[in-house]
Amino acid sequence: MMFSELGKFALEEAKKRGVDYVDVRVGEIADEVLTIKNGAPEEIKFLQTRGFGVRVIVDGAWGFASSVDLDKKEAIEVVERAISIAKASAMLKKMPVRLSKEEIRQDRYETPIKENPFKIPMEEKLEILFEAERLLAEQSPLIKASYSYYRGYREKKFFVNSEGTEISQTITWCGGGLRAIAVKNGEMQVRSYPASFRGDFATAGYEFFESLKLVENARNVGQELIKLFEAEKCPSTTTDLILTGDQLALQIHESCGHPTELDRVLGTEADYAGTSFLTPEKLGKFRYGSEHVNLVADATVPKGLGTFGYDDEGTPAKKVYLVKEGLFVGYQSSRETAAELNLGESSGGMRADSPLSLPLIRMTNINLLPGDWKAEEIIEDTKDGVLMMTNRSWSIDDKRINFQFGTEIGWIIKNGSKERMVKNPTYIGVTPKFWGSCDAISKDDWRMWGTPNCGKGVPGQVMYVGHGCGTARFRNIRIGLI
Amino acid sequence: MVVERITELAEKTVEIAIKLGASQAQVTTFLLDDALTRYANSQIHQNVASKNGGMIIKVILPDKRIGTLRANTLEESEIEGLVRKTIGIAKSARPDENFKSLPEPEPWTPLENAFINETAACTPEYRAEKVKEAIEIAHSKSSIVKAVAGYFSTKAIYFAVANSLGVSAYAKLTTASMKTTVISESEGSEGFGTAEKYTRNVKEINPTLLAEDAAEKSIKSVKPVKLQPGDYEVVLSPLAVGTILSYLGYMGFSAVPYQNGSSFVKYFLDKQIFDEKLTVKDDARDPKTFYMTPIDGEGVPKKLKFLIKNGTVSEESICYDSLRAGKENKKSTGHSIPPITRWFYDIPMPFNMVMEPGDSTIEEMIEETKRGIFVTYFHYVNPVEPTKAILTGLTRDGTFLIENGEITKPIVNMRFTDSMLSALKDIPLIGKNQEIVEETTVPPIKLNKLRFVGISAY
Repeated sequence: MMFSELGKFALEEAKKRGVDYVDVRVGEIADEVLTIKNGAPEEIKFLQTRGFGVRVIVDGAWGFASSVDLDKKEAIEVVERAISIAKASAMLKKMPVRLSKEEIRQDRYETPIKENPFKIPMEEKLEILFEAERLLAEQSPLIKASYSYYRGYREKKFFVNSEGTEISQTITWCGGGLRAIAVKNGEMQVRSYPASFRGDFATAGYEFFESLKLVENARNVGQELIKLFEAEKCPSTTTDLILTGDQLALQIHESCGHPTELDRVLGTEADYAGTSFLTPEKLGKFRYGSEHVNLVADATVPKGLGTFGYDDEGTPAKKVYLVKEGLFVGYQSSRETAAELNLGESSGGMRADSPLSLPLIRMTNINLLPGDWKAEEIIEDTKDGVLMMTNRSWSIDDKRINFQFGTEIGWIIKNGSKERMVKNPTYIGVTPKFWGSCDAISKDDWRMWGTPNCGKGVPGQVMYVGHGCGTARFRNIRIGLI
Repeated sequence: MVVERITELAEKTVEIAIKLGASQAQVTTFLLDDALTRYANSQIHQNVASKNGGMIIKVILPDKRIGTLRANTLEESEIEGLVRKTIGIAKSARPDENFKSLPEPEPWTPLENAFINETAACTPEYRAEKVKEAIEIAHSKSSIVKAVAGYFSTKAIYFAVANSLGVSAYAKLTTASMKTTVISESEGSEGFGTAEKYTRNVKEINPTLLAEDAAEKSIKSVKPVKLQPGDYEVVLSPLAVGTILSYLGYMGFSAVPYQNGSSFVKYFLDKQIFDEKLTVKDDARDPKTFYMTPIDGEGVPKKLKFLIKNGTVSEESICYDSLRAGKENKKSTGHSIPPITRWFYDIPMPFNMVMEPGDSTIEEMIEETKRGIFVTYFHYVNPVEPTKAILTGLTRDGTFLIENGEITKPIVNMRFTDSMLSALKDIPLIGKNQEIVEETTVPPIKLNKLRFVGISAY
C-alpha cells in the first residue's frame, strides 16, 4: 500500500472518531552497515525498518501508537489504540495540549545527492574498506584491532496531519571512517579518522564517502597511533586549551545542544536525560559564553547530518540562534513547547528515529559560527597550552553544567608552535565558564561534522545530528584528569 | 501461539536459505509489544505503544562469505525475497576465515515463569492509575514537592531462533519497570530523588513505595552544600552499583574488547583484582534477573557463568558468541544478545549479571562511615581508560554527606573519575538485599575510597 494512501486512510479514521488533532507518519528506512575488522568482514548488514505511527490529541492529551503492518485493518487498530492511550493520558492532564500555529503546506523534499549510495555495488564499497583497513593494520604489529566503516542510510517518509499539511521526504546520508586500537605492555591507545564514533557522515550521496579518502589516510592514522606510545602523558595542570573541530563538535553537542532542548528545560526529560541549567528566566539575559560565541540550530545547512526539509511535525527546516555574541537567546523547540513558552513558533526540531517512534525535540545541526581566525593563527598566538583532537571519552551532568572529555591525542603548545605529542589528554570544565573563556574561533577550517548516534528519550531513540565548527581556544582550563 | 508461529517462520526461512544455496543459515524472528507511559511535571506527557516484529537472517555461503539482513516484517510472502537479498549481500562480501560454524543444537528447556500474562495484558488505564498513585503520594509528602516525573513500562517479548544445523528454540518473557523522580524546591533551591523498580510481573510494582523513597530523597536534597573534590568513602545504592557493574560487563567481559586488547580482564587473568568478597555471575535462568531467557540470540542454551569469583577474573569470565568464539577455536558461551530490545546489539555481552549479596544493610553501611558520600544514582557514566577500568560519571538524584555514621546534609552533585580496579579492591560491606537494575541484580555496597574530581556547579 502506498505510504500516502495509508497515511490519509489512518488520518480519516482518526478524524471520524472525533480526535482534536492527529498526525500520521508512514515510512521506510534502509540502512546499510559495513565493517571490516582485522582483514575480515565484521558486519555486512542491511537493516530495513518499515511502519507507521499515529499521534493524536484527545481530551487535550497525547496518545501515540505504531505498528509495522502497513494495512488498513492494522491502521484502524492503531488509531483506536492511540485514542485509548490518549484518553488514559487525559486522566492525568493539568492543562490541555496547545500547539503553536504552523502554516499548512503540501510539499516534497529530497536530500540533494550526486550518487545514490544504494546504487553503488557493495563490492565497490568493500574494496575501499578492505584496502584502507589493510593499510591501517600493517603499520604496526602493536595494532590489535583495526576497523574500517561504511554506513549508508535512506529514509522515505510521508507526513499528514489534520490541519491539512502533507509532506513527502527522502533523506539520504552516508559516510564512514577508520579506527585502530593498539596495545603495548598493557597500555592501550586509540586513533580514529576523520572522527570518533565510526567516522564522519553527511546528508549527501556516495560522493561524500569517497571524499573521506580512507585509503589515502589509513597509513597516517596507524603511524600516529603508534607514536602515542612514545609520547609523554598529558600533564595535570590548568592551561589554555585548543580544540580541533572533531572534538569541538562533541563539546557543542553536549554543552550547548542538549541544554537548549526546550523539553529538557521544561522538565519532561527529568527522569532520564535530565533537565537544563538554561531555565526560561535566563532567556535573553544569561551570558552563556564570551562575545565570540555564536551558536545556531540550523537544519538548512548543506550536507549537515541534521538537515532536512521538514521536521516530524511538518515544520519547515529553519535556522535559529541559540547563543548570539555570548548571550543565551533561543531554544530548540516543538509546536507544543513553543506554545507553552509563548515563543510564537516551533524551531522545527521534532524528530523521530523511525516511523514507529514518537517525535521528540532533537538537535538538527548545532553550529558554532566561524570567527575571524585561521586555525594556525590560534596556535601561533598561544604561548602555553595544549591542543586536543578526536574524542575518546565523554560525560556531562544532568543539568549540562559539569563535563569531562578525553581525546585520543594532544600536543603541547609552546610559544606558538606544536612542541610535542601527549597521550591520554583529558579536560574538565563548567559550561558557562568554559564558553566564557573562549577567545578565538577559526573560520578557515570550519566544516560540518556528522554523528549518527545521539541518544535521548524513554523509550530510547538514536538520532543523526550535525555540528558545524572549526578550531577554538579556551583560556585557563583544567587538564590531565587521569 | 505467538512462539509457535515465529518458530515455524524461522525454520521455514532457514529451509529456503539452504535451498537457495546457503551452506549454513540462521534466522531469528521476534515480536516486541512495547507500551510506556511517561510523566513529568506531575502529569502524563508521553504515552506510547508500539508493535514491532521482524526477522534477522544470516546466511553463510560455502566459501564463508556471510550476509546479514534485519527486516521488520513477519509476512510469509516476503520471506523468499528477503532471503534472496541476504544471499546477494553475502555474495558481495568476502570470505570470513574466522567463521567456524553456527552453533550445534543443544538440549534446552523453556522458562515458562519468565512470561507473566498480567504484564503482557497491561492496559494504558492501569499504567495511568499507577502513575497517578505515585504522583499523589509524592505530593502528599511535603508542600515543597514541585513535580513528579518518570515512566511506567510494560513489554512482552517473543523470539525464536532456528539454524540449518538443527537449532530450533524460542523464548518469551515480559518486563515491567517504573521510575519515579521527584523534584522539590525550597527558596529557589531544587532537590531531586529517584527510585526504580524492575520486575517481570507488573503487579509487583508498588508506586507508593517508589514515590515515598524518591520523595524522601528529593525533600532532603534541597539546599545542597558544595563539597571539595577528593577521595571519599562511599555508600552506593543498588541503582549506582548496577550502573558500575553494567559498564564492567560491557568493557571487561565481552569477547570483543578482550580480543581487541582493551579489556582490563586480559591483563589480570587469574589474579584477585577486586575485594575477595566480590562475586559476580551471569545467569539468565535465575528468576532474580530482568531479562530471564533460556537461550541467547543464536539459540545457545544459557548457562551459569562466573564473571568474578571471590575477586578474581579469568579466561572463564569472557562471554562469547559463535563468531567471536570461532576466532579462538572455542565454543560460544551463549552470550549473543537476543532481540529483546529494539536495538540490534552485535557484540556478545553478559546481560544477566548477579552480584552475590553480603550481610549488611544500607543503614549499617552509613553507620560504619566516618566521612563519606551516599550515592543514589550515577549519571552519564563512560569509560575513560578501559584497560584500567577507569570510569567517569556524576552523582544524581539524592547525594548526601555522611558524617560520623549519619547522613547530615545534601551535597551538590559530584563527578568521579577513578579506576574500578582500585575502587572495588576494598569493599568493606556488601548489602544483603539485592535489587534488579535492568541487566544487573545487585546489592548496595560500601567502598573505602572513590575519587571525586569536580562538582556540578557554576
